[in-house]
Amino acid sequence: MSALAAIDVRPEDIPTMREKVSPEEWETRVNLAACYRLVDYYGMSDLAGTHISARVPGEDDNFLINPYGLFFDEITASSLIKIDMDGNILSDTEYRINAAGYTIHSAVHGARHDVQCVLHTHTRAGMAVSALKCGLMPMSQHSARFIGNTGYHDYEGVATNLDERERLVADLGPTNTAMVLHNHGLMTCGYNIPHAFWLIHKLEKACQAQIDGMAAGTKVIEIDQSVQDSTAVHFKKGGTAGADRNWPGHLRELDRLDTSYKH
Amino acid sequence: MSLRDRVTPEEWQTRVDLAACYRLLDFYDMSDLTGTHVGARVPGEPDAFLLNPHGMFFHEITASSLVKVNFDGDVLTEDSEYGVNAAGFTIHSAVLGGRDDVACSLHTHTRAGMAVSAMDCGLLPLSQHSMLFYDAISYHDYEGVATNLDECQRLQRDLGEANMALILKNHGLLTCGRNIQEAFWMMFRLEKSCQAQVDAMSTGAELIHVSKDVGNFTRDQMKSRGTAFGDMGWPGHLRRLDRLDASYAH
Repeated sequence: MSALAAIDVRPEDIPTMREKVSPEEWETRVNLAACYRLVDYYGMSDLAGTHISARVPGEDDNFLINPYGLFFDEITASSLIKIDMDGNILSDTEYRINAAGYTIHSAVHGARHDVQCVLHTHTRAGMAVSALKCGLMPMSQHSARFIGNTGYHDYEGVATNLDERERLVADLGPTNTAMVLHNHGLMTCGYNIPHAFWLIHKLEKACQAQIDGMAAGTKVIEIDQSVQDSTAVHFKKGGTAGADRNWPGHLRELDRLDTSYKH
Repeated sequence: MSLRDRVTPEEWQTRVDLAACYRLLDFYDMSDLTGTHVGARVPGEPDAFLLNPHGMFFHEITASSLVKVNFDGDVLTEDSEYGVNAAGFTIHSAVLGGRDDVACSLHTHTRAGMAVSAMDCGLLPLSQHSMLFYDAISYHDYEGVATNLDECQRLQRDLGEANMALILKNHGLLTCGRNIQEAFWMMFRLEKSCQAQVDAMSTGAELIHVSKDVGNFTRDQMKSRGTAFGDMGWPGHLRRLDRLDASYAH
């Protein structure tokens, strides 16, 4: 119960971590805080109910996650909490972390060392697709990126049981970069923070288009298997390039709105 | 003398939190002009509760403008030029009058909530959000605009003794809280549950229903935290309102 006690420390009152961490960790903190702000800006936040984590450069077993109780549009570089794979809090903070967030993110970071950032959402369209037996359909260019590259995980309850990690890892598989959490939401796994954001932006739009396309009740055109395959190869070859190209634009976008994410 | 100096500190705190709740409903797109209402019990006054001044929009409501009424419908706030909505009085006096454990009763007319309220199947166990209501939500048949006080007993009967949420068929949603924070939290989750259900069902595709065991287990996981989820988020909500427009606390 104490982990959920109301905490009201304003993010601007949290002392800067800039001088206390490596330049690489600081850059990761700034980019991860930016990612939280962007998920909110693009309508994909759910109060304090989801989480995004990033591995700390040079510290393979440690990752950064949100202070539970700050909303996504409040998160700053210095407010992010560093934890290890056992869930120990390594930062000096009055905030706690979300227990289900720890389960989900430690599962992926512990098993998939190619993944640097894990991003989870509860959006309207994402939740809706997560409740469909058919899963994500090859109905749009956006979805083509994910077909054959997305895991599915059955719902087990709020993810506070650490045993669920094995099943999360098995369902994600060794190479997939997205997962539909049935009856729950979406998750993307990025080779860096911009990549995880880029993937969720694509996946979210794919889900929105699928809902609207299917809601029309008319016959849906599914992309041919051969085109799906060639598109998948095209996207794989691109790696993080598209995401990296867009990231400065996203930061400019945030800088025009509110630069406090860099605090 | 401002109202703040004329009421107890506990009533003032309730007024500030209730005004914040109205503002938040508007911020999160769950308002419907002056068409719905949120009622909150006044601490230390078992026979009184606060309602919105009928005619003010949700984003205008302030702590001082809320109207205190008793369970007979008498307006107790002196010098308020506003009255309360008659249907609002019926609904909230029924809930607050029938359930001593409920301190706040919250009603919406949202697109997704109205849509689910018109479905014979009711709320389906399709999302984690909906697990909070797994086998723990009630239904009330539509009888017309709720200005007939006889409807109070049917509202009380349909809500029952333990459930914290009620679907008003062909009408909208209602959530209860042991405090204002909990009622808002319940509504935020119920609204999202309805949105996801409407979208999922609109595809016409086969749905994945959460099993009975997982549904019961998850609801109990969530219920075991008491009001903690609502309490935990509240400071963030107030920070949000403070950044946007702190006049709710007036």
